[in-house]
Amino acid sequence: MNAMNLHKSLIVLLILSAAGLLAFLPVEDNFDDRIEIGAKAPLTDLEVTDVSGEVLTLEEVAGENGLLVNFSCNTCPWVEAWEDRYNPISKMADENGIGVIMLNPNAAIRDDGESMEDMQARAKSSDYNFYYALDEGAKMAEAFGATRTPDIFLFNSDMKLVYTGAIDDNAKSAQAVDQHYLKDAIQKLVAGKEIDPKTTKALGCTIKWPK
Amino acid sequence: MMKSKQIVRILSFFLLVAFSNVGLTVGQDISDKELLKNATGAELKKAISSYKGDKAVLVNVWATWCAPCIEEFPYIVDLKQKYDDELHVIFISADFPGQRDNALEFLRKQNVDWTTYFKTGKDQPFIEALSDDWSGALPFTKILDQEGNLIANWEQGAEYEKFERHIKKAIKK
Repeated sequence: MNAMNLHKSLIVLLILSAAGLLAFLPVEDNFDDRIEIGAKAPLTDLEVTDVSGEVLTLEEVAGENGLLVNFSCNTCPWVEAWEDRYNPISKMADENGIGVIMLNPNAAIRDDGESMEDMQARAKSSDYNFYYALDEGAKMAEAFGATRTPDIFLFNSDMKLVYTGAIDDNAKSAQAVDQHYLKDAIQKLVAGKEIDPKTTKALGCTIKWPK
Repeated sequence: MMKSKQIVRILSFFLLVAFSNVGLTVGQDISDKELLKNATGAELKKAISSYKGDKAVLVNVWATWCAPCIEEFPYIVDLKQKYDDELHVIFISADFPGQRDNALEFLRKQNVDWTTYFKTGKDQPFIEALSDDWSGALPFTKILDQEGNLIANWEQGAEYEKFERHIKKAIKK
């Protein structure tokens, strides 16, 4: 084998090795790590600003029995579909010693319907009876591993996650709901009973992450 | 003389009809019912696996109200045309039932001329039928090779290059 042939063989070998390695690369995805059931609420001392101008932390919002965090926004049709359940569930949580805060993580489109002014207008027009704060740079959403709006995280009095996922199983019609996941979870949390299911999934709008 | 004028008129009429039909053919020779079929998660799973051994498959869940879905949709249509012999695209609309006509109108505008699906049933079994990884955020894309192996799946919108890179991997080009 002359030097030229040896050189060619080495190149072929290198290409084949690279192709072989590529085959073992993991499947590409972008699924962020969502905090797991039992995990402590992250960034509980991070300050966020509510539509009223009040500066808050999750620690301060939490009630004696826990905390309900809803990642939501102004521009998603799924939020609109579920919105008629926001106030009743917040009232129920409040009556059961659970603090409620809604965080808006849509950092990439603050100038397109998701600014603080837009949030203030939405809170007023929908008569929100809970905190609605801006998640600057979507830091909270990232730490929680939230993916969509709406996206629910319910914590107990130790600030450990006890339920996450959907509000219920029918966005379009509160009357046609079969499974009231979040309401059931709140009732069971307060009653000290086992929550089942602890995680659920539902369709929603992707969070518009900062670019 | 009159006769030849009449022949010219008749011929012109037929030519006009023929050419206007050419314009209508793109994306129009499929009925609404075939273009957008109702499907549950289980039915979609079956439809996806029916291409195993035949073609690579790109599954894309979209909705007319979802801005990133609308932005990336034409890229997928282009790539389906480019790799038509080796790739099938399964579009699934997750629009609310009352928006079915909007979805159909959009598909026609995008010149989609093959069967796509309209999600029916509850969210959770629908999401789980398509992927264990997917949280339910839209858009969602999943690419399988000809043998049904998962090549890539992701939430959020994507650029043309990302779709093509994974399609090429799926069809081994």
